[in-house]
Amino acid sequence: MPYSFPLGPYHPALEEPFKVKVQCKGEVIESATVEVGFSYRGIELLAQKRNWVEVITLIERVCGICSNTHAMTFCLAAETIAGIELPKRAAHIRTIIAELERLHSHLLWAGVGAEDIGFHSLFMEVFTLRERVMDTLEAISGNRVNYGMNCIGGVLRDIPDPAAHLPALDALAKGLGEVVIPTFTQNPTALARTRGVGRLSREQAVEWAVVGPVARASGLDIDVRKDQPYLSYADLGFESVVRPEGDVQARVVVRALEMMESVRLIREALLSLPPGPLRATQGLPEIPAGEATIRTEAPRGEAFYYVASEGGASPARVKIRTPSFVNIPAIEPMVMGQPLADLSIIQASVDPCISCTDR
Amino acid sequence: MAMLKTILGNLLRPSRTRAPADMPVVPPTYRGALTHDAGRCTACGTCAFVCAPKAIHFTQDPGISVSWHFFIGQCSFCGLCEQNCPTRAIHLRADVPGSTNSAGGDGLRLESVIHLQPCTRCGAAHVPLPAATMDALWAAGADEAERGYCPDCRRWAASARLRTAFTPDGAVAEGGRHDR
Ligand code: SF4
Ligand code: SF4
Repeated sequence: MPYSFPLGPYHPALEEPFKVKVQCKGEVIESATVEVGFSYRGIELLAQKRNWVEVITLIERVCGICSNTHAMTFCLAAETIAGIELPKRAAHIRTIIAELERLHSHLLWAGVGAEDIGFHSLFMEVFTLRERVMDTLEAISGNRVNYGMNCIGGVLRDIPDPAAHLPALDALAKGLGEVVIPTFTQNPTALARTRGVGRLSREQAVEWAVVGPVARASGLDIDVRKDQPYLSYADLGFESVVRPEGDVQARVVVRALEMMESVRLIREALLSLPPGPLRATQGLPEIPAGEATIRTEAPRGEAFYYVASEGGASPARVKIRTPSFVNIPAIEPMVMGQPLADLSIIQASVDPCISCTDR
Repeated sequence: MAMLKTILGNLLRPSRTRAPADMPVVPPTYRGALTHDAGRCTACGTCAFVCAPKAIHFTQDPGISVSWHFFIGQCSFCGLCEQNCPTRAIHLRADVPGSTNSAGGDGLRLESVIHLQPCTRCGAAHVPLPAATMDALWAAGADEAERGYCPDCRRWAASARLRTAFTPDGAVAEGGRHDR
């Protein structure tokens, strides 16, 4: 007999609230409806009531995982409006922080994913590796999350000794290459739970307009870092990772290989850190009237910002569209016809970030 | 195979749980407990302006003092107040205590009273410049008497000096007092 089953908003798999209402027939899911909005904070409206300095602190709290992406994208938008050219060193430092953030986000995901398929020892391995990334972020910025690195016109903190962070990168590359990637791609337990599970075909990916690793795992070669290089990506060169299969396994592999690419990008950026100032402007920013749209590649895909200024002390409008906002609805086609037990790994496989979806 | 290697590796390694004495290093950039130096503060308000969660605010005792207030419960440790304070009165110390409580009044709320001083020229109550700033400014050999001036009188004195430099006979009409 068909029955409907509410999962969430308090979640067995993830720490953030969202609800999936599934219609099942026996063990098989017939359809699913996703509901979000449980942690809405009204950040877009609040942003209109804060001055240009405070807004960065506020925007950084859009997401607890990819905090830097949001602050950075907002600063890029404000810099575009004011016509400020970012110093080369600041662009490199922003790139390093952005890629470290991608590493920690993907490792967090890999850990949660491992936990969701009941692979606790892999979770431990992944989180041990993630600690190296967190330590590096803390050493550079002084904080494990909400790094507070960005200001309009540049960055607030320098990386005085780039070579000091290279051993952590070596350890990461070793851990990823020897433990995490082989386990996810060769271990029979991991394979049994991920291969062929939660398929999203290329056509469906286009139809549901997914972005980031989810799109790239369905054969869509889209990545803002490659399509519209910003910061130092054009200088450093960038290879995107694409897989055609569209299942959970492909999403795992895309993220895993992306981490290797991130390690390479960070290493090159650290080694080629150009000299020069950290900020193009001094003092408090003055943003003239104007508007700008900016796209950046957050760990979960394309983040889109529209910022308008009327020349006042605060922005006139800040519109934020986060990658999870388009990725989460795609859970609906993914779970159709799948066993109920796979629901948690399928929804985890899009790496849903509810905090930034709800804003 | 990879797992086997990991298990073997783990058997040979010491425990990964840290002993209490084996504390992780706190990086020098760490943003911990906030301290405020009333002697350096000019009550300019920049720190309150850049503080998104409004952890800093001011109260006044007109003519006597200005008080700078901070509540740690609202602070997000962004460090912007430290970065933007023109006189470096604020520091987010790296040696933050592991935990705090309000019983001893030990830093959940901070209050600094900045006493106003009467101007030695016009008598107006004003926030004096921090001693270090004065030393730096007066090192160039400015008139020592101007140390006690309020901002308006300092401005008056500066323009008077400018006028003397331009008028050849050096005659400056005394009494050019600003209106309050
Ligand atoms: S602490 Fe610094 S920024 Fe704040 S009022 Fe005092 S001088 Fe100004
Ligand atoms: S650290 Fe940030 S949040 Fe805390 S008082 Fe300073 S500006 Fe406000």
